[in-house]
Order: sequence, then structure tokens, then C-alpha cells
Amino acid sequence: MIRTRNLSKSYSTGRGKVQAISDVSLFVDTGMTLTVMGKSGSGKTTLLNCIGGIERPDTGSVECFGVDIHALSNRDLSLFQRRNAGFVFQAGNLLSYLTVSENIAFPLVLNAIPNKEKDRRVLELLEKIELSDAARAMPNELSGGEAQRVAFARAIAHCPKMLLADEPTASLDTETGKNLVGLMFALGKEEKCTIIISTHDQEIIKLSYKSLDIRDGKVKGPENE
Amino acid sequence: MPFTFWIKTAGLFLVRSRRSTTVLILMVFSAVATLIFLASLAIGINDAMIRNSVSLFSGHISGFNLPSTISRKSLFTDGVSNVLMRIPTQGILSHSGNLAMVTLIAVDPVEEKKSSAIWKKILQGRYLEPGKKEIFLSKPVAEQLNIEPGDNIGFSPDPDLPPVELAVAGIYNTGMYQLDRGIAFCQISAVPAKAAEWNAAIFLNDGADKDLILAGYHKAYLKDSLFKTWSDLMPDLKQLIDLNYISMSIVMVLVFGVVSLGIACAFSIFILKNLREYGIMKAMGVTPSETLLLIFSEVILLNLAALFIGIIGGIAAVSVFQRTGIDLSAYTSHNQYFIVSGVVFPRLTTYSVWLAPCLALVFSIFSAIWPAVLVIRKNTSQILRSI
Ligand SMILES: Nc1ncnc2c1ncn2[C@@H]1O[C@H](COP(=O)(O)OP(=O)(O)OP(=O)(O)O)[C@@H](O)[C@H]1O
Ligand SMILES: [Mg+2]
Repeated sequence: MIRTRNLSKSYSTGRGKVQAISDVSLFVDTGMTLTVMGKSGSGKTTLLNCIGGIERPDTGSVECFGVDIHALSNRDLSLFQRRNAGFVFQAGNLLSYLTVSENIAFPLVLNAIPNKEKDRRVLELLEKIELSDAARAMPNELSGGEAQRVAFARAIAHCPKMLLADEPTASLDTETGKNLVGLMFALGKEEKCTIIISTHDQEIIKLSYKSLDIRDGKVKGPENE
Repeated sequence: MPFTFWIKTAGLFLVRSRRSTTVLILMVFSAVATLIFLASLAIGINDAMIRNSVSLFSGHISGFNLPSTISRKSLFTDGVSNVLMRIPTQGILSHSGNLAMVTLIAVDPVEEKKSSAIWKKILQGRYLEPGKKEIFLSKPVAEQLNIEPGDNIGFSPDPDLPPVELAVAGIYNTGMYQLDRGIAFCQISAVPAKAAEWNAAIFLNDGADKDLILAGYHKAYLKDSLFKTWSDLMPDLKQLIDLNYISMSIVMVLVFGVVSLGIACAFSIFILKNLREYGIMKAMGVTPSETLLLIFSEVILLNLAALFIGIIGGIAAVSVFQRTGIDLSAYTSHNQYFIVSGVVFPRLTTYSVWLAPCLALVFSIFSAIWPAVLVIRKNTSQILRSI
């Protein structure tokens, strides 16, 4: 279960103070999916970053599976993320000096998964994302869609409780994007992962269990508690 | 989290960013190899000054007024290559009315030729030959007596005795006051031995510890005699050599300071170019200390590779010139510390091999601190947004 309470974050920029998100409270039950939609600049990235602990909010709290993550120290937050979170960003997710399988194995090594188990899991995921033949490829040898599939496989490799994907399909064509999100939702369900995806693609919203609308940093959808 | 995983990852980062790794390695390599060579050259110059100064006449250790109970043989201890026996006699040289007060030093010409170099400073004639009643004297003395090689002159150690007749074998000039004024040489049996005391010029093997050998002599002969090393007898040379070491070290630190600015920039770019990688890792839950471990592993691995080939390169360059020597005669001909030969042989020592690599490692690690701190302080959202 992921719950945010009165989450606000502002930035001081060249344009003055920008309220990226304000007073966002939301709730996603364990194993469920949520899509966050809104136009560019509405605060989607900021919201996901705050939920995943990549960014600290100014006020408000984020509770992930019973842990108030912004009450944790930086180090403990890192350890929490390594165990419980998986991220997929818009593009350029992969560590460019590691091969596809080394990328997928990375969170497994971080979580001290034994070698044998790790190798098995990497093979399994490569099969699921249909890239078994690309195990030793370098990221710059992949197409955009393939790279996003690898990023997704890496994000769920260690069976995290939550998967956060910030416009994972933005750099892909509609068809490829839809396939990727379909895969994410299907595998997410299989792995009992709670998924939050931000997007502005209507097709993707239809695939999701529930969605919410964000405008100028404020949540408009029915999920706002 | 296994330490080895980070080292391995650092290795992969380096190997797979081939071009920048190569450029950085070349930079560190050339700096290190050059400085190893320069340090070895400085050592070689010091060696040459010592070699020139001691080999001309005095040896590494000089023994004064040794009683005849101390034999030449007994001074051959570990590390001693030769001991030259010299018996001084005061007296007057005379030639057709001209007189000169000298210390006539009786030597063994064969042994002298093996170790000392005064016979190389001949102007006219030749050096002493064993068994002949000859004299070898300096240019000032020859001028005073107005003689040439082949002339016969008289030497009287005692005004009451008739002079001993000696043929002039050769005339030398060292340019050093102590060796050119009031000194002449003959071979041991040419004049009747008068003095019961002798002087020793003790020559050591390369790398032998003069102070250790001196301590041995002092322990054995303290009461009877006086031994001194070249550094006691030539404090000016000693200071010059110390000065050379110090200025070389300062130059190395300064050169490295400047070079390291370049290296520091390169390292910063090298680290910051991978900013995105570190940002992504951070999002995956890599802690700041692990990030630091990774960055410093990269820097240290890269340095070890560069230092390794740098040391090999430096040693290779030194060994080439160690064999052939570098002829600096054109710059040393008027210098009393290069009196015998201006050829310098660079030499590797612990100091010359390790100073540059140690400096390189320290400077590189220091230069990685700023970018590393920048990486761990920048938060992931900023990193991801900025690229
Ligand atoms: N680090 C930052 N510094 C300054 N301003 C920021 C920063 N991050 C976000 N903002 C501002 O906050 C607002 C929300 O940004 P955010 O990136 O969350 O929007 P978004 O919905 O993800 O947009 P997009 O769809 O274009 O990715 C924007 O006005 C943006 O300019
Ligand atoms: Mg965004």
C-alpha cells in the first residue's frame, strides 16, 4: 500500500517560485496499478520522484508499505529503495557500461542474491521481455523499445513491492508503447507489484486499474482522498 | 555489499570507456615515466660528482697516518673494492739550481691505475711504471723547477743525506689546489722509506654503505688512526648533493602540482561524464559510500595501470642510458666535481622509482575528491533532469 498525505514540493527557479505539486494525497492498494496523467509541466515527475524517494518533498509524507520513507536517513532510504523500489524513466535508463544482462543483474547483486539464483532470474526475465538473444549486448546497441523493456526487467528483477514508471513510453511509438505497458501490467500482476505509471497517453490509461489527473500540481481525479 | 563487486564494476567502467581511459592512462604514464627518468638522472649526476671527486685521488674513505701494524690487506672488508697505499715523505726537489718543497707520495702505480684517476690528467709524458726510479709531478711544481719529462731531478728528504736521483716520467694538472700544489708521486721502492706511517685511499663497490664500513674501521682501529669519508673531507660536495636532492624533490612536487591540475581536470571530466550512471545507480538504492567506493576504485585502478606502465617505461628509459651514459662534458669541463669525466649514468633508486608514482597516486586521489563529492551531493532528480 502506498499513501501520500498533503505532499507539496516547490522549486525556486528563474521564473520565481514554482509549485510543482501541492497538497497531493493519494492511495494505492498493494498489487494495484495507478496511472497519473497530466500535461507537460503538471508535476507528474515530481510526484513520482517524491513517492519513490528520489526527491524529498517540502511538506507532507509518503508511506510505502508501512514505512514513512521521508523520515528515513539518506542511507536508510537508499537501502529501502534497493529492496523495495524499481524505477523506469522516460529514456536512458540503462547503465551504459554494462551489458543487458549485467544491467538486469545489478539490483540482484545489490540485494545480495546468490549467483545461481541471480543468473536464473536474469535468464527468466530476458525470456519474458523476449530479448534472450541480447543478453550480452551493450545498451547503445538496442532500439528505444528494447532498451525500455530491459529497463523494466531491471526495475522488477529483485521483485520490488513498487514499480514507478515516469512516462516510460514517451520516447516510443504508440504501438510499441502500448505493448510495453501491457507487459508491465501483466508481469506486475504476476509479481504482485504495486505500479504507478505517469503518462499522457489515453490508450495506456484504459489498461490501468485506476487513474488520476494532475493539473498544475493539484490532483483532480476521484482518488484524491 | 561485496567489495569485489564494486571493484569489478569499476574495472568494467574503465575497460568499456576505452578512449577516455586510454587518454588518462597515457597522461599519467608519461608524467610518471618522465619524472622517474629525471629523478634517476639527478641521482646519476650526484653519482658522477661523487665518482669524479673520490676517484681522482682520495677514495670514498681516507685513512691518515696509519701505523705499519695496520696492513693494507686488513682494510679489505665487505664492500671494499681496493685499498691504495700511499707513503708521504716531506722533502726538497732540486734541478739545476731550482728548488721546490714537496710532499713526495710513494704509490703502487699498478694499483693506482686500477682505482684512482690522477694519471688520466697527464699533460706531458706518461704515468709511473713499476720498478723505475721516476717521479710524476704537477704542472706548477714542474714550472717552478723548469723541467720536462725525461729530465733527472734530485729529491732530498733530509738535508744531511745526498739527494736521490729520479727521472721525470710525466707532468699532470688537475686544476685542484690540494692536488696541484706541493705534491709529487713516485713508486714505492724509488725512495728509501723513512716514515713508519702510511695513508690509505679506500675505494668501495657501487652501492656499498660507506658509513657502515667506516664504523667497522672505527671499531677495529679507533685508537691508532683516523679514517674519514668523502662527505667529511668534502663538505661542499656533500652539501651540493643534498641540495640536488632537495631541489629535485621540490621540482618533482611542483611539476606534479602543475601536471596534476591537468590531470585533475581530466579526472573531473572523466567522473562527471558518468554523472548519469551514478544518478541511475542512486535511484536503484546505491548508497553514497558505495558510490564513493566505485569512483575511487575507478581512479585507483586506472592509476595502478598507468603507474605500472609508467614505472616500466621509466625503468626502460633509465636502463638504456644507464648502459650508454649521457655525455655532459660540454657543460662540466670547468667544474671541479666533474674533473675526470662528464658522462652521467642515470641510476634507479628507491627514491627515483617511487617518488613519482606515489606523487601521482596522491595527486590523482586528491583530484578525484571534488568531483566525487559533487556526484554524491547532487540528487538523482537533478541529475536525471539535467541530461
Ligand atoms: N529541479 C527543478 N528545478 C526547478 N524547477 C523544477 C524542477 N523540477 C521541476 N520543476 C518545475 O516543476 C514543474 C513540474 O515539473 P515536472 O517535471 O514534475 O512536470 P511533468 O508533469 O513531469 O512534466 P513533463 O510531462 O514535461 O515531464 C515544472 O514547472 C518544472 O519547471
Ligand atoms: Mg516528467
